Amino acid sequence: MRAERWQEVETVLQDALDRPPLERASFIADVCAGDEELKTEATTLIAAYEEAGDFIEQPAIARDAYVLLGDDAHGSVGREIGPYRINERLGAGGMGEVYLANDTRLSRLVALKLLPVYFASDDARLRRFQSEARAASALNHPNILTIYEVGESDGAYFIATEFIDGKTIGELMREQELPLAEILDCVEQVASALAVAHAAGIVHRDIKPENIMRRRDGLLKILDFGIAKLLEPAKLSETPDDVHDTAGYRTHTEAGLVLGTVNYMSPEQARGLPVDERTDIWSLGVVLYEMLASRLPFTGATRMDAMVAILDREPARLSEAANNHARSAPLLQSMVDKCLCKEISGRYRTVSELLADLKTVREQLDGRAEPATEKQPGAWRLTTRLSPRFVSLFAVVLLLVIAIAGVLLYRRSTRLNQSDTTKALSTRPVKLYSQMSERERLDFIAEQEQRISSMMGDRPVKLDESAVRTIKTYVDRYASRMSGPAVEDSGSITAVYERAPPYIPLIARSFAARKVPVIIGIYLPVIESGYRPCSAGNFGAKGLYQFLPSTARIYGVSRQEMCDAEKMTPAAAHYIADHMAELGEDAQSVTLVLLSYNRGAGWVRDSLRQVRGAENYARNFWTLLANRETLDESFRKETAGYVPSFFAAAIIGENPEVFGLHIPPLSTLAGG
Amino acid sequence: MFILIDRKREKKTKVFIPEQKTFDPIDARIRRAMKTLTADNLTGLLVEWREGDQAAFDRLMPLVYDQLRRIAHRYVQRERNGHTLQTSALVNEAYLRLVDQHVVWQNRAHFFAVTARVMRHILIDHARRRRYAKHGGEARQVSIEEAAAMSMERAAELIALEEALDELAKLDQRKSRVVELRYFGGLSLEETAEALNISLMTVRRDWRAAKAWLYRRLKETE
Repeated sequence: MRAERWQEVETVLQDALDRPPLERASFIADVCAGDEELKTEATTLIAAYEEAGDFIEQPAIARDAYVLLGDDAHGSVGREIGPYRINERLGAGGMGEVYLANDTRLSRLVALKLLPVYFASDDARLRRFQSEARAASALNHPNILTIYEVGESDGAYFIATEFIDGKTIGELMREQELPLAEILDCVEQVASALAVAHAAGIVHRDIKPENIMRRRDGLLKILDFGIAKLLEPAKLSETPDDVHDTAGYRTHTEAGLVLGTVNYMSPEQARGLPVDERTDIWSLGVVLYEMLASRLPFTGATRMDAMVAILDREPARLSEAANNHARSAPLLQSMVDKCLCKEISGRYRTVSELLADLKTVREQLDGRAEPATEKQPGAWRLTTRLSPRFVSLFAVVLLLVIAIAGVLLYRRSTRLNQSDTTKALSTRPVKLYSQMSERERLDFIAEQEQRISSMMGDRPVKLDESAVRTIKTYVDRYASRMSGPAVEDSGSITAVYERAPPYIPLIARSFAARKVPVIIGIYLPVIESGYRPCSAGNFGAKGLYQFLPSTARIYGVSRQEMCDAEKMTPAAAHYIADHMAELGEDAQSVTLVLLSYNRGAGWVRDSLRQVRGAENYARNFWTLLANRETLDESFRKETAGYVPSFFAAAIIGENPEVFGLHIPPLSTLAGG
Repeated sequence: MFILIDRKREKKTKVFIPEQKTFDPIDARIRRAMKTLTADNLTGLLVEWREGDQAAFDRLMPLVYDQLRRIAHRYVQRERNGHTLQTSALVNEAYLRLVDQHVVWQNRAHFFAVTARVMRHILIDHARRRRYAKHGGEARQVSIEEAAAMSMERAAELIALEEALDELAKLDQRKSRVVELRYFGGLSLEETAEALNISLMTVRRDWRAAKAWLYRRLKETE
C-alpha cells in the first residue's frame, strides 16, 4: 500500500474508532461506499483493534528482562552478605537461590541459601523460620547436612550450610541405573538420619532425590531439614484441627511449598492435612521405588494429575520395571508397599521398623546365592518318610520324564537347526561389513539407503555417488567404534544399540500415533543421545531426543521430566509431526522432515528455494546435499552431516548381523 | 547434535564439520565498547546522534545497555516483590544517574529514544540467534541462560513484530517510532509525546492505529 492510500485508510479508521463500537460497522459502510478496498481495510483494522486486547501494551522489558540480565541474571556473584562473599551460583529451588560462598572469617566454603523475597514480608513466618531453622541446626548426624548459621544481613535472609562437593541422587539416577547394593545403602543412610530427626520431633517433609546428595566418598547428606515446613502458612501447621480451611490451602500453594515437584508428596500433604514422620516414610518409599524401577510410582501430565495419582492410584508392580532390578523386586515389593500405603496407619510406624525390614531383605538377598538345600529341609524329610516301593516307583517315573524330555529336546534342536539352514539357504550368506571391499561397501550402502528411504515413505531417488560416500563416511566412523566394553562405555556403538530395544515399543506407539514413520523415532536417539535416556547435550538439551528445556516445555514436558522417556518420546513425535505439517507438501520427503528436526522447517524451505532450478532438482535432502556449494555455509558446516549420520545409524540398526551386533534389526521390535 | 561423532576426526575430513563459528553477539560487542566510554561524553553523543551521526548511536549503546541491565534487574526484583512499576520511571532514574542535573530537555527525550532503540536491537538480535537454537545450527552460540531467557515462541513473535514494524515505518514513520518508544522503551503516552515533540492526542491516535495495523499484520503471517 502506498503511504497516501494509508492516510485515507487511517482517517476512516480513526473516525470509526472515535465512535461507539456498535456504530463502527455502519459508519464504515457509509464512508467507504463504492470503495471496496477501503472498506475491507478499515473493517479488518477495526476488527484487529477490537481483538488486540493488551497486545504490546505491556512493555517488552516485562517479558524479556532476563534477556538483558544474561548470565549474571541474579547479579549476586561477588556480593557480600554478612561475613559471606558469594563465589558462584549453584542452583535454585523452592527455597530460593543457592550460592557457593566463602566465609571470610573462617575462610571456608559454605553453601549459602538466600531466601525468597516474599519470605521477609511475613513477620510471623520469619520468626517461625528462625526458631525452626535453629532446631534443625541442632540435629547432629553424619547424614544430615550441617547448618552453620541462620541469619539476616541488609534484609537478605540466609542459611549457611556445609558445602557438599558431590551429586544429588536425582543426578545420579539420571546418569545411570543405580546398582541394587547402592540403592539399599542409600535407603539405609537416609532412614538412619530420619530416625534421629524424628526422635527430635523434626519431620523433613520434602524427601526427594534432589534433596539427597552423595559426597564423592559415598556418604549421603540430606539437605534442607525442617525447611519445607517453614514454607507452609502458619495457620496450617499451628492449628491442625482446621484442616478444611480452603483459604489456608490456597496460601499453602501460593507460598511455594508445592512449587517444586509434587511426585514425592504424601497423600496427606497432597490433601493439605497435617503431617508426621510417616510422611517422610512415604517420600522415602517413592525414592526407593524410583531407584528400583527407574520410574516414578505416581506421575501425571499436570501437577493436579500427579496429585490425583498419589491419592487414588496404585503404582505398577516393581517386577514390571524394564530394568535390571525386576528380578530382585519381589523381595522389595512388600517394603515399598508398606511405605506407599495411602492410609497413614498402614505404613511403617517408625523409620526403625523400615530399617529392620531392610536388614531382613538384605539378608535374603545375600542368602539367595547360597544353596537352597539348607534352607528347605522339608523336601528331604518328605522323601525319607516314603516307603522303598514308593521310592522305586518315583525313580521309574523320573526316568520316564527324563527320557521324554530328552526326545523332545532332541527334536526341538534338530528343527531349530533345520530352520537355520533353510534361512541361510534362502538369503545370501552374511558378509561382515568389516570384510567388505570398498566397492562392496558402497554398493551395500546404496542398496540399504534405498531400503531405509522406502521405510520412511520417501519416493525412491537414486543417490549420486557423493551422497553415498557421505553416508559411508559415517558408517565407517560408527563401525570403527564397534569394539570396546559393552554396557559401561557409552561411546561404543555396540552399547548404544544394546540400550535401544527396551525403548522401541514406546517409540513405535508414540510415532505411529502421530503418523510419523517409526523408523525416524528409532534412529534419532542413536545420533542424538546415544540412547541414553538422560543424556545431557549442550545448552541444556536432554533426553533421548535432545530437546532444549524451552522447546520441551512447549510440548508439555517440564525440565524435570526431560529424562522421562515416557514423556519425551510422544513429545518428540509431536514435534516432528508439527514439522511435517509446517513443511506441507515438502514433507513428502521425510528426509527433509528429518533435516527440519535439526534445523527448522522454515530454513529447510528457504534452502529448497535457493536450489530450485538446479538441474537435478527434487524436493529432497539429497538435492540439497548435491547442491551444497550454493547453499549457505551453515548447511555445509553443521547440517549436511545430520541426515547422512541418521542413515548410517539406520543402516547399522537394520543390518545388525552385518556389523556383528547381537540384536535383531531394531525395526522388527516395533511390532505390527 | 552429532553425539556419536568424534569431533577431532571430523576436523580433518573438512566436509560437514560443525565448527565453532566465532560469533559476536551484540551484548559482547557492547561490553567491549563499555571499556572505552565514560558517562562524561554522553551529552555530547546524544547531541551528535540527534544531528544524525549514526556512529554516535553505536557509541551510546554501551552506556544505555548498562542502564538497561540495571533497569531489568530492578524490574525483576520488584516483580518478585509483587510491586507493579513504571518502566519509564526506571528509565528516568537511569538517565539521571548518567547526567548532571542541568540537562536540556531535548537530551532527555533523546535518551529515551536511544534507550528504546537499544532495547529493540538487543531483543531482536537475541531472538534471531535464538530462533534456530533448538540444537545444531547456531545453537552453539546460545548459552543455557540465554536459551532459558527467551522461549522459541517469544523469539518468533519478536522477529515477526520487528518485520511488521519495519513495514509500518515505510508506510508511516512516526507510528513506528511511537511503538518503538512505548513498547521497547517502556515510555508512557505523555513521555512519548515529549520525546517525539508531538501532542498527546497525536500519540494516542498513532498508538491505537499502529496497534490495530500491527496486530492485523501479525495475524496474517501466523
